[in-house]
Amino acid sequence: MAKILLVDDSNTVRDEVGGFLTKNGLEVITAVDGKDGLNKLKADPGIKLIVSDVNMPNMDGLTMVEKIRSELGNNAVNVIMLTTESNPSMKERGKAAGVKGWIVKPFKGESVLETFRKLSA
Amino acid sequence: MSDEMQLVSKVLVLDNSPECFIQIKQFCDQNGLIGLKVTSTNIMAILSAYVDLGAILLSDNYCESQADTLDLAQQIHRARPELPIVLRKTSTSNFDDLPEKQRKLFCATYTIDNMSPLRKVIDEYIFSLVYPNALVRGISELTVSTLENLSTLENRFKHIKVITETPYIVRDRIIFGEVCSLIPLESSWCRGYMMLQTEEGGILDVLGYNELTMNEGPAAFRTVNNILAELTNLLWGAFKTHFIAADDPGPGFASEVPIVINHQHKYISFGSENPHLCFKYILTDENNSHFIPVYQWFAFNLYWSPEDFKEIYASVDDFVDSGELELF
Repeated sequence: MAKILLVDDSNTVRDEVGGFLTKNGLEVITAVDGKDGLNKLKADPGIKLIVSDVNMPNMDGLTMVEKIRSELGNNAVNVIMLTTESNPSMKERGKAAGVKGWIVKPFKGESVLETFRKLSA
Repeated sequence: MSDEMQLVSKVLVLDNSPECFIQIKQFCDQNGLIGLKVTSTNIMAILSAYVDLGAILLSDNYCESQADTLDLAQQIHRARPELPIVLRKTSTSNFDDLPEKQRKLFCATYTIDNMSPLRKVIDEYIFSLVYPNALVRGISELTVSTLENLSTLENRFKHIKVITETPYIVRDRIIFGEVCSLIPLESSWCRGYMMLQTEEGGILDVLGYNELTMNEGPAAFRTVNNILAELTNLLWGAFKTHFIAADDPGPGFASEVPIVINHQHKYISFGSENPHLCFKYILTDENNSHFIPVYQWFAFNLYWSPEDFKEIYASVDDFVDSGELELF
Protein backbone atom coordinates (compact mmCIF):
# COMPACT_ATOMS: atom_id res chain seq x y z
CA MET A 1 0.00 0.00 0.00
CA ALA A 2 1.22 3.50 -0.82
CA LYS A 3 2.64 5.17 2.27
CA ILE A 4 2.42 8.89 2.96
CA LEU A 5 4.05 10.88 5.76
CA LEU A 6 1.84 13.79 6.78
CA VAL A 7 3.73 16.44 8.74
CA ASP A 8 1.68 19.18 10.39
CA ASP A 9 1.61 20.70 13.87
CA SER A 10 -2.16 21.12 13.62
CA ASN A 11 -4.08 18.24 15.08
CA THR A 12 -7.11 19.33 13.06
CA VAL A 13 -5.18 19.11 9.77
CA ARG A 14 -3.65 15.76 10.69
CA ASP A 15 -7.11 14.41 11.49
CA GLU A 16 -8.90 15.83 8.46
CA VAL A 17 -6.24 15.36 5.77
CA GLY A 18 -5.02 12.08 7.26
CA GLY A 19 -8.58 10.83 7.58
CA PHE A 20 -9.38 11.73 3.99
CA LEU A 21 -6.28 9.97 2.61
CA THR A 22 -6.84 6.88 4.74
CA LYS A 23 -10.47 6.71 3.65
CA ASN A 24 -9.21 6.72 0.08
CA GLY A 25 -6.93 3.74 0.52
CA LEU A 26 -3.63 5.41 1.33
CA GLU A 27 -1.57 4.50 4.37
CA VAL A 28 -0.78 7.59 6.41
CA ILE A 29 1.86 8.12 9.06
CA THR A 30 1.74 11.44 10.89
CA ALA A 31 4.40 13.68 12.41
CA VAL A 32 3.90 16.82 14.50
CA ASP A 33 6.82 18.92 13.22
CA GLY A 34 9.88 18.81 10.96
CA LYS A 35 12.05 17.11 13.55
CA ASP A 36 9.48 14.40 14.13
CA GLY A 37 9.02 14.07 10.36
CA LEU A 38 12.75 13.53 9.86
CA ASN A 39 12.78 10.80 12.52
CA LYS A 40 9.70 9.06 11.10
CA LEU A 41 11.22 9.06 7.61
CA LYS A 42 14.50 7.62 8.93
CA ALA A 43 12.57 4.85 10.68
CA ASP A 44 10.40 3.92 7.71
CA PRO A 45 12.05 3.59 4.30
CA GLY A 46 8.67 2.62 2.81
CA ILE A 47 7.50 6.26 2.80
CA LYS A 48 7.24 7.45 -0.79
CA LEU A 49 5.50 10.82 -0.36
CA ILE A 50 5.71 13.51 2.31
CA VAL A 51 2.95 16.11 2.61
CA SER A 52 4.22 18.82 4.92
CA ASP A 53 3.27 22.16 6.42
CA VAL A 54 5.86 24.96 6.35
CA ASN A 55 5.38 26.84 9.62
CA MET A 56 5.85 24.44 12.50
CA PRO A 57 7.57 24.52 15.90
CA ASN A 58 11.01 22.94 16.48
CA MET A 59 11.77 22.55 12.78
CA ASP A 60 9.93 24.13 9.85
CA GLY A 61 8.92 22.13 6.79
CA LEU A 62 11.43 23.62 4.37
CA THR A 63 14.37 22.99 6.71
CA MET A 64 13.11 19.43 7.08
CA VAL A 65 13.16 18.94 3.29
CA GLU A 66 16.66 20.40 3.05
CA LYS A 67 17.86 18.02 5.76
CA ILE A 68 16.17 15.05 4.05
CA ARG A 69 18.22 15.80 0.93
CA SER A 70 21.51 16.81 2.59
CA GLU A 71 21.73 14.88 5.87
CA LEU A 72 19.75 11.75 4.98
CA GLY A 73 20.91 11.85 1.38
CA ASN A 74 17.37 10.86 0.38
CA ASN A 75 16.58 12.34 -3.03
CA ALA A 76 13.94 9.78 -3.86
CA VAL A 77 11.10 10.70 -1.54
CA ASN A 78 8.56 13.07 -3.10
CA VAL A 79 7.57 16.13 -1.09
CA ILE A 80 4.52 18.36 -1.40
CA MET A 81 4.09 21.39 0.83
CA LEU A 82 0.60 22.03 2.25
CA THR A 83 0.68 25.47 3.81
CA THR A 84 -0.93 28.89 4.19
CA GLU A 85 2.27 30.40 2.75
CA SER A 86 2.13 31.53 -0.86
CA ASN A 87 5.23 33.71 -0.98
CA PRO A 88 7.17 33.05 -4.23
CA SER A 89 10.52 33.20 -2.45
CA MET A 90 9.43 30.36 -0.17
CA LYS A 91 8.28 28.35 -3.17
CA GLU A 92 11.68 28.99 -4.77
CA ARG A 93 13.41 27.71 -1.64
CA GLY A 94 11.20 24.64 -1.72
CA LYS A 95 11.88 24.07 -5.42
CA ALA A 96 15.63 24.33 -4.81
CA ALA A 97 15.32 21.68 -2.10
CA GLY A 98 13.51 19.36 -4.50
CA VAL A 99 9.92 19.94 -3.42
CA LYS A 100 7.58 18.53 -6.10
CA GLY A 101 4.52 20.70 -5.50
CA TRP A 102 2.84 23.35 -3.40
CA ILE A 103 -0.72 23.54 -2.08
CA VAL A 104 -2.07 26.65 -0.37
CA LYS A 105 -4.44 25.65 2.45
CA PRO A 106 -7.25 24.84 2.85
CA PHE A 107 -6.85 21.31 1.56
CA LYS A 108 -9.33 20.15 -1.07
CA GLY A 109 -8.74 16.44 -1.20
CA GLU A 110 -10.59 15.31 -4.33
CA SER A 111 -8.58 17.58 -6.63
CA VAL A 112 -5.20 16.20 -5.55
CA LEU A 113 -5.96 12.59 -4.70
CA GLU A 114 -4.85 11.15 -8.03
CA THR A 115 -1.52 13.01 -7.92
CA PHE A 116 -0.93 11.84 -4.36
CA ARG A 117 -1.59 8.26 -5.47
CA LYS A 118 0.94 8.56 -8.31
CA LEU A 119 3.61 10.22 -6.17
CA SER A 120 3.27 7.69 -3.37
CA ALA A 121 3.25 4.61 -5.60
CA MET B 1 -19.93 44.34 -0.28
CA SER B 2 -19.59 48.06 -0.94
CA ASP B 3 -16.19 49.65 -1.48
CA GLU B 4 -16.65 51.99 1.44
CA MET B 5 -16.67 50.45 4.88
CA GLN B 6 -17.39 53.03 7.54
CA LEU B 7 -15.76 52.21 10.86
CA VAL B 8 -17.86 52.75 13.95
CA SER B 9 -17.29 52.73 17.69
CA LYS B 10 -19.70 52.10 20.55
CA VAL B 11 -20.00 54.76 23.23
CA LEU B 12 -22.01 54.50 26.44
CA VAL B 13 -24.21 57.56 26.89
CA LEU B 14 -24.97 58.37 30.53
CA ASP B 15 -27.29 61.33 30.10
CA ASN B 16 -30.77 61.83 31.52
CA SER B 17 -31.85 64.71 29.31
CA PRO B 18 -34.12 63.48 26.47
CA GLU B 19 -33.56 66.72 24.51
CA CYS B 20 -29.81 66.49 24.80
CA PHE B 21 -29.83 62.79 23.96
CA ILE B 22 -31.46 63.57 20.60
CA GLN B 23 -28.61 65.96 19.81
CA ILE B 24 -26.00 63.53 21.10
CA LYS B 25 -27.49 60.75 19.00
CA GLN B 26 -27.42 63.01 15.95
CA PHE B 27 -23.78 63.78 16.68
CA CYS B 28 -23.05 60.05 17.03
CA ASP B 29 -24.76 59.26 13.73
CA GLN B 30 -22.69 61.90 11.97
CA ASN B 31 -19.40 60.84 13.51
CA GLY B 32 -19.32 57.07 13.28
CA LEU B 33 -20.42 56.44 16.85
CA ILE B 34 -23.07 54.07 18.11
CA GLY B 35 -24.58 55.74 21.16
CA LEU B 36 -25.82 53.21 23.70
CA LYS B 37 -28.26 54.93 26.04
CA VAL B 38 -28.28 53.60 29.57
CA THR B 39 -31.46 53.73 31.60
CA SER B 40 -30.57 51.28 34.33
CA THR B 41 -29.49 52.52 37.71
CA ASN B 42 -26.81 49.86 38.00
CA ILE B 43 -24.26 51.43 35.69
CA MET B 44 -21.40 49.16 36.65
CA ALA B 45 -23.47 46.08 35.73
CA ILE B 46 -24.32 47.68 32.39
CA LEU B 47 -20.68 48.57 31.86
CA SER B 48 -19.63 44.99 32.39
CA ALA B 49 -22.12 43.90 29.71
CA TYR B 50 -20.43 46.16 27.13
CA VAL B 51 -16.80 45.22 26.90
CA ASP B 52 -16.03 46.59 23.46
CA LEU B 53 -16.51 50.30 23.95
CA GLY B 54 -14.75 53.36 22.57
CA ALA B 55 -15.68 55.95 25.21
CA ILE B 56 -18.15 57.06 27.89
CA LEU B 57 -20.24 60.21 27.50
CA LEU B 58 -21.38 61.38 30.94
CA SER B 59 -23.42 64.43 31.85
CA ASP B 60 -22.58 66.35 34.98
CA ASN B 61 -26.15 66.04 36.31
CA TYR B 62 -26.49 62.34 35.60
CA CYS B 63 -26.59 61.50 39.30
CA GLU B 64 -28.52 63.37 41.95
CA SER B 65 -25.55 65.37 43.10
CA GLN B 66 -22.24 66.48 41.62
CA ALA B 67 -20.50 64.36 44.25
CA ASP B 68 -22.41 61.27 43.12
CA THR B 69 -21.57 61.95 39.47
CA LEU B 70 -17.92 62.28 40.39
CA ASP B 71 -18.11 59.08 42.37
CA LEU B 72 -19.59 57.28 39.36
CA ALA B 73 -16.84 58.67 37.11
CA GLN B 74 -14.28 57.39 39.57
CA GLN B 75 -15.83 53.93 39.63
CA ILE B 76 -15.88 53.79 35.83
CA HIS B 77 -12.29 55.00 35.63
CA ARG B 78 -11.17 52.42 38.18
CA ALA B 79 -12.93 49.60 36.31
CA ARG B 80 -11.95 50.66 32.79
CA PRO B 81 -9.09 53.18 32.84
CA GLU B 82 -8.56 52.81 29.09
CA LEU B 83 -11.98 54.32 28.31
CA PRO B 84 -11.98 58.11 27.91
CA ILE B 85 -14.81 59.76 29.87
CA VAL B 86 -16.15 62.92 28.25
CA LEU B 87 -18.18 65.15 30.50
CA ARG B 88 -21.16 67.18 29.28
CA LYS B 89 -21.44 70.28 31.36
CA THR B 90 -24.90 71.73 31.92
CA SER B 91 -23.31 75.00 32.95
CA THR B 92 -19.94 76.26 31.83
CA SER B 93 -18.93 76.93 35.44
CA ASN B 94 -19.66 73.42 36.72
CA PHE B 95 -16.66 71.31 37.71
CA ASP B 96 -14.28 74.23 37.22
CA ASP B 97 -13.27 74.18 40.83
CA LEU B 98 -12.49 70.47 40.93
CA PRO B 99 -9.18 69.38 42.32
CA GLU B 100 -6.66 68.30 39.67
CA LYS B 101 -6.99 64.59 40.53
CA GLN B 102 -10.74 64.59 39.88
CA ARG B 103 -10.49 66.78 36.81
CA LYS B 104 -8.15 64.17 35.32
CA LEU B 105 -11.00 61.66 35.34
CA PHE B 106 -12.34 63.43 32.25
CA CYS B 107 -10.38 63.67 29.05
CA ALA B 108 -12.50 66.66 27.95
CA THR B 109 -15.70 68.53 28.63
CA TYR B 110 -18.32 69.83 26.25
CA THR B 111 -21.69 71.53 26.29
CA ILE B 112 -24.66 70.67 24.15
CA ASP B 113 -24.27 74.04 22.39
CA ASN B 114 -20.65 73.40 21.59
CA MET B 115 -19.83 69.80 20.78
CA SER B 116 -16.54 70.51 19.01
CA PRO B 117 -14.46 69.31 22.02
CA LEU B 118 -16.23 65.96 21.68
CA ARG B 119 -15.21 65.76 18.03
CA LYS B 120 -11.58 66.32 19.06
CA VAL B 121 -11.79 63.52 21.64
CA ILE B 122 -13.14 61.12 19.05
CA ASP B 123 -10.31 61.94 16.66
CA GLU B 124 -7.69 61.69 19.37
CA TYR B 125 -8.87 58.66 21.32
CA ILE B 126 -11.01 56.54 18.99
CA PHE B 127 -10.30 57.19 15.33
CA SER B 128 -6.65 58.07 15.92
CA LEU B 129 -5.22 55.49 13.52
CA VAL B 130 -6.02 55.60 9.83
CA TYR B 131 -7.11 52.24 8.47
CA PRO B 132 -7.13 52.14 4.65
CA ASN B 133 -10.53 51.20 3.34
CA ALA B 134 -9.02 48.48 1.15
CA LEU B 135 -7.50 46.89 4.26
CA VAL B 136 -10.74 46.95 6.26
CA ARG B 137 -12.81 45.67 3.35
CA GLY B 138 -10.18 43.08 2.44
CA ILE B 139 -9.89 41.68 5.97
CA SER B 140 -13.65 41.31 6.16
CA GLU B 141 -13.85 39.60 2.75
CA LEU B 142 -10.99 37.19 3.26
CA THR B 143 -12.24 36.25 6.73
CA VAL B 144 -15.76 35.58 5.50
CA SER B 145 -14.34 33.50 2.65
CA THR B 146 -12.19 31.49 5.09
CA LEU B 147 -15.06 30.98 7.53
CA GLU B 148 -17.37 29.88 4.73
CA ASN B 149 -14.82 27.22 3.80
CA LEU B 150 -14.37 25.86 7.32
CA SER B 151 -15.83 22.58 6.16
CA THR B 152 -12.40 21.83 4.64
CA LEU B 153 -11.16 21.67 8.25
CA GLU B 154 -14.13 19.94 9.76
CA ASN B 155 -16.93 18.43 7.74
CA ARG B 156 -19.60 19.36 10.27
CA PHE B 157 -19.08 23.05 9.44
CA LYS B 158 -20.51 22.58 5.96
CA HIS B 159 -23.88 24.21 6.66
CA ILE B 160 -22.40 27.34 8.18
CA LYS B 161 -23.70 30.75 7.15
CA VAL B 162 -21.57 33.78 8.03
CA ILE B 163 -22.99 37.14 9.06
CA THR B 164 -20.61 40.10 9.37
CA GLU B 165 -21.17 43.14 11.54
CA THR B 166 -19.85 46.61 10.74
CA PRO B 167 -16.15 46.81 11.63
CA TYR B 168 -15.55 48.86 14.75
CA ILE B 169 -12.91 50.47 16.91
CA VAL B 170 -12.51 49.68 20.58
CA ARG B 171 -10.39 51.10 23.35
CA ASP B 172 -11.48 48.42 25.79
CA ARG B 173 -8.90 45.83 26.71
CA ILE B 174 -11.29 43.16 27.94
CA ILE B 175 -11.02 39.64 26.57
CA PHE B 176 -14.61 38.55 26.23
CA GLY B 177 -14.35 35.27 24.41
CA GLU B 178 -13.78 32.08 26.34
CA VAL B 179 -10.87 31.10 24.15
CA CYS B 180 -8.53 33.29 22.14
CA SER B 181 -5.54 32.99 19.84
CA LEU B 182 -2.80 35.47 18.94
CA ILE B 183 -0.54 35.56 15.91
CA PRO B 184 1.97 38.25 14.91
CA LEU B 185 1.58 40.23 11.69
CA GLU B 186 4.83 41.67 10.38
CA SER B 187 5.69 43.69 7.30
CA SER B 188 7.35 46.92 6.27
CA TRP B 189 4.08 48.78 6.93
CA CYS B 190 2.66 47.07 9.99
CA ARG B 191 3.69 45.18 13.09
CA GLY B 192 1.25 43.86 15.60
CA TYR B 193 -1.08 41.00 16.29
CA MET B 194 -4.29 39.44 15.13
CA MET B 195 -6.35 38.05 17.98
CA LEU B 196 -9.33 35.75 17.51
CA GLN B 197 -11.82 35.20 20.30
CA THR B 198 -14.69 32.76 20.34
CA GLU B 199 -16.83 30.64 22.62
CA GLU B 200 -16.22 27.00 23.31
CA GLY B 201 -19.90 26.08 23.69
CA GLY B 202 -20.88 27.34 20.22
CA ILE B 203 -18.17 25.34 18.47
CA LEU B 204 -18.99 22.18 20.43
CA ASP B 205 -22.70 22.62 19.68
CA VAL B 206 -22.03 22.89 15.94
CA LEU B 207 -19.73 19.89 16.11
CA GLY B 208 -22.50 17.99 17.87
CA TYR B 209 -20.02 17.18 20.59
CA ASN B 210 -22.66 16.11 23.06
CA GLU B 211 -23.51 13.22 20.79
CA LEU B 212 -19.93 11.97 20.83
CA THR B 213 -18.44 9.65 23.35
CA MET B 214 -15.91 11.73 25.21
CA ASN B 215 -13.58 8.75 25.66
CA GLU B 216 -13.12 8.31 21.94
CA GLY B 217 -11.29 11.55 21.26
CA PRO B 218 -9.34 14.31 22.92
CA ALA B 219 -11.01 16.44 25.59
CA ALA B 220 -13.58 18.79 24.10
CA PHE B 221 -11.64 21.96 24.83
CA ARG B 222 -8.62 20.65 22.95
CA THR B 223 -10.76 20.16 19.87
CA VAL B 224 -11.87 23.79 20.14
CA ASN B 225 -8.25 24.91 20.60
CA ASN B 226 -7.14 22.95 17.54
CA ILE B 227 -9.88 24.37 15.33
CA LEU B 228 -9.20 27.92 16.49
CA ALA B 229 -5.46 27.46 15.95
CA GLU B 230 -5.92 26.26 12.38
CA LEU B 231 -8.47 29.00 11.62
CA THR B 232 -5.93 31.54 12.91
CA ASN B 233 -3.28 29.98 10.71
CA LEU B 234 -5.52 30.13 7.63
CA LEU B 235 -6.40 33.79 8.25
CA TRP B 236 -2.76 34.66 8.89
CA GLY B 237 -1.80 33.11 5.56
CA ALA B 238 -4.64 34.86 3.75
CA PHE B 239 -3.66 38.21 5.33
CA LYS B 240 -0.07 37.81 4.15
CA THR B 241 -1.13 36.77 0.66
CA HIS B 242 -3.59 39.62 0.37
CA PHE B 243 -1.69 42.49 1.96
CA ILE B 244 2.02 41.78 2.20
CA ALA B 245 3.92 41.87 -1.07
CA ALA B 246 6.22 38.97 -1.92
CA ASP B 247 9.17 41.36 -2.03
CA ASP B 248 8.24 43.17 1.17
CA PRO B 249 11.53 43.81 2.97
CA GLY B 250 9.95 43.05 6.35
CA PRO B 251 10.03 45.11 9.49
CA GLY B 252 13.80 45.70 9.71
CA PHE B 253 14.73 46.44 13.31
CA ALA B 254 12.10 44.64 15.33
CA SER B 255 11.41 46.13 18.73
CA GLU B 256 9.25 44.10 21.10
CA VAL B 257 7.03 44.92 24.04
CA PRO B 258 5.53 42.43 26.50
CA ILE B 259 1.89 41.45 26.10
CA VAL B 260 0.17 41.25 29.47
CA ILE B 261 -2.87 39.04 29.99
CA ASN B 262 -4.63 39.29 33.33
CA HIS B 263 -6.93 36.29 33.60
CA GLN B 264 -8.46 37.51 36.83
CA HIS B 265 -9.80 40.60 35.10
CA LYS B 266 -10.07 39.15 31.58
CA TYR B 267 -7.76 41.92 30.46
CA ILE B 268 -5.15 42.13 27.72
CA SER B 269 -2.60 44.85 27.09
CA PHE B 270 -0.51 45.04 23.95
CA GLY B 271 1.60 47.71 25.60
CA SER B 272 0.24 50.62 23.58
CA GLU B 273 -2.61 53.05 24.06
CA ASN B 274 -3.78 52.58 20.48
CA PRO B 275 -7.39 51.56 19.92
CA HIS B 276 -7.96 48.24 18.15
CA LEU B 277 -9.60 47.50 14.82
CA CYS B 278 -12.29 44.87 15.39
CA PHE B 279 -14.58 42.65 13.37
CA LYS B 280 -17.37 40.43 14.55
CA TYR B 281 -18.73 37.47 12.62
CA ILE B 282 -21.61 35.23 13.56
CA LEU B 283 -21.44 31.70 12.19
CA THR B 284 -24.88 30.11 12.10
CA ASP B 285 -25.52 26.45 11.51
CA GLU B 286 -28.35 26.41 8.98
CA ASN B 287 -29.46 22.97 10.18
CA ASN B 288 -30.31 24.15 13.68
CA SER B 289 -30.12 27.22 15.88
CA HIS B 290 -26.49 26.79 16.91
CA PHE B 291 -24.21 29.74 16.37
CA ILE B 292 -20.59 30.68 16.97
CA PRO B 293 -19.49 34.29 17.52
CA VAL B 294 -15.98 35.07 16.26
CA TYR B 295 -14.31 38.32 17.30
CA GLN B 296 -11.26 39.36 15.32
CA TRP B 297 -9.03 42.09 16.74
CA PHE B 298 -6.08 43.79 15.07
CA ALA B 299 -3.62 45.53 17.36
CA PHE B 300 -0.90 47.24 15.33
CA ASN B 301 0.96 48.13 18.50
CA LEU B 302 4.56 47.99 17.30
CA TYR B 303 4.46 49.82 13.97
CA TRP B 304 1.78 51.33 11.81
CA SER B 305 2.41 53.13 8.52
CA PRO B 306 -0.82 53.01 6.50
CA GLU B 307 0.62 55.26 3.77
CA ASP B 308 2.93 52.36 2.82
CA PHE B 309 0.06 49.87 2.70
CA LYS B 310 -0.56 48.30 -0.70
CA GLU B 311 -3.32 45.89 -1.58
CA ILE B 312 -1.89 42.97 -3.54
CA TYR B 313 -5.23 41.68 -4.80
CA ALA B 314 -8.25 43.87 -5.46
CA SER B 315 -10.64 41.06 -4.64
CA VAL B 316 -10.54 37.86 -2.65
CA ASP B 317 -11.66 36.04 -5.78
CA ASP B 318 -8.39 37.04 -7.48
CA PHE B 319 -6.22 35.05 -5.13
CA VAL B 320 -8.40 32.20 -4.04
CA ASP B 321 -6.62 29.36 -5.79
CA SER B 322 -6.22 27.64 -2.46
CA GLY B 323 -6.45 23.89 -2.41
CA GLU B 324 -5.01 23.61 -5.92
CA LEU B 325 -1.78 21.72 -6.36
CA GLU B 326 0.96 23.69 -8.12
CA LEU B 327 3.43 21.19 -9.48
CA PHE B 328 7.05 22.30 -9.93
